[in-house]
Amino acid sequence: MMKPLTWWWGLVLAFALVGVLRIFLPLPFIIEVLIFSIYTLGCNFLLGRVGFISFGQPAYLAAGAYATAFYLYYFGTNPYVGILMGIAAGVAVSLAVGPLFVRLRSDYFALVNLALAVIVFYLMQKVLAPITHGDNGLWFLTTMSPTPLLDITRPGQFFVFAFVVALALWAFYKYLDDTIFGACCLATKVNEDKLAFLGYSNFSIRLLAFVIANTTTALAGSMYAIYLGFVSPEMTSPARVADPVVVTILGGVGTLYGPIVGSIAYTGMKDLISRLIGNWELFIGFLLVFIMLAGEKGIWGTLEPLLKKAALRIRNRWRNEVSGRR
Amino acid sequence: MTNGEAILAVRGLSVAYGESKVLFDIGLDVAARQIVACVGRNGAGKTTLLKSIAGFLKPTSGSVASDGTSLIGRAPYDIARMGIKYVPQDKKVFSDLTVRENLELGSYATQDYDWDRVTDYFPKLKELMDRKGGYLSGGERQMLMIARALLGKPRLLLVDEPTEGLAPSIVAHLRDVFRELSKKAALVIVEQNLPLVCAIADKVYALKEGRIAARLADRESIRIEVFERYL
Repeated sequence: MMKPLTWWWGLVLAFALVGVLRIFLPLPFIIEVLIFSIYTLGCNFLLGRVGFISFGQPAYLAAGAYATAFYLYYFGTNPYVGILMGIAAGVAVSLAVGPLFVRLRSDYFALVNLALAVIVFYLMQKVLAPITHGDNGLWFLTTMSPTPLLDITRPGQFFVFAFVVALALWAFYKYLDDTIFGACCLATKVNEDKLAFLGYSNFSIRLLAFVIANTTTALAGSMYAIYLGFVSPEMTSPARVADPVVVTILGGVGTLYGPIVGSIAYTGMKDLISRLIGNWELFIGFLLVFIMLAGEKGIWGTLEPLLKKAALRIRNRWRNEVSGRR
Repeated sequence: MTNGEAILAVRGLSVAYGESKVLFDIGLDVAARQIVACVGRNGAGKTTLLKSIAGFLKPTSGSVASDGTSLIGRAPYDIARMGIKYVPQDKKVFSDLTVRENLELGSYATQDYDWDRVTDYFPKLKELMDRKGGYLSGGERQMLMIARALLGKPRLLLVDEPTEGLAPSIVAHLRDVFRELSKKAALVIVEQNLPLVCAIADKVYALKEGRIAARLADRESIRIEVFERYL
């Protein structure tokens, strides 16, 4: 287990880097990275800690986004209340389907979640079209009222909000890792029987993990809705279901920094390659296959031991220099 | 048998994996502070018996009760919370967790944080607290698994082939630990190490092809040559 100071400093450093990147990179890109990394956090927790691969994350993303959108389009104007609605929707949907889904094995879990994403897509696109406006989506960018202190209707201040939320969530997930609950999650992934004969209910642990992960995803959906001032069924399109899983694997499954590293890499690749090549999705597909084959540990999983070695070497050299001077 | 209900009473227990019957009409009694051994060849149904008692397998018929309370239909974690702990054969601890974290898992579930009591049986664990489970030897893993199971002061320990593949010195240590443990809890031990069984068991059930072939209930009759007649 890492010493608290080590990971806290690592976290602050990683986010300071994102803050610095803000100076050089366009604001929409950085905001996209932050929200996408929150989106991926839940998937990373499910896959890396609980052992559940989920192709249904867009369903929970849409739950958060549409709850926020419904509130801001039909009922109110305060975006913070909209975000609370999104979080509540995440908890509600997770609690509604979780007791059924978490009883399944990981492969069936992946498929049933995929089915849920497809159901939500058609619900939003067709069945609930009278209130969701189908493919046209719901627009509320201009109806949101400015908020005091941090006005998240403005992109610059929304960046600060997204930055703080992402940092807080990272700290929360790291804290979870170090708790008994975190250990139980890892244990249920490795061997559920052993956890049971210690006196733990695998079902309860998985359900709680499921609710936490999918509420995080719903929060990301809510943030997308506020930032764009618009939601459409496109976000839960069957073509998008693999995105968070791909980014999780790309960044490094179960690693602390994997989601942010994966999000930077994935969003960056999309952004850069789409400017150069017409059929960029095809190119990204091949690139991802190559990356997966080259290192199944993902980018951060591959870099982490190398960086640790380099840090150790620098520290030893620095110590030798200091002792030499004395 | 001691006064009151048996710590474990199994009656007419039959278990099947799908269509394939594995245990037939098993009867077994364990009194408080008694060491009961189950012996038999591979495939005799010893592990299946322990798993059925611990709630991992659903019997097709029969009853399993502890202190008069039926265990049938209860979830394994519920049975563990009743003080009936299962120590499996495979010696797989949570390999990504340290010894300390493995013990914390046991402690949190039972709210028993008295680690000195359990590490007194296995002092070596104190030196290994920060080592990950994956880096422990077979003997160290077995110690950790038993230590973890002892948290919460169980009434009954179900131990599956604890000495399999271990060095003689560790087997001797475990033998002493089991004797010591039997002063506070009952033990059901599935074991193929017959000298160990003869040294510690108060009662022995010999299983053959899913049936009880013999029940040896007095210390005089618990001898290797007697077992060999049934196995």
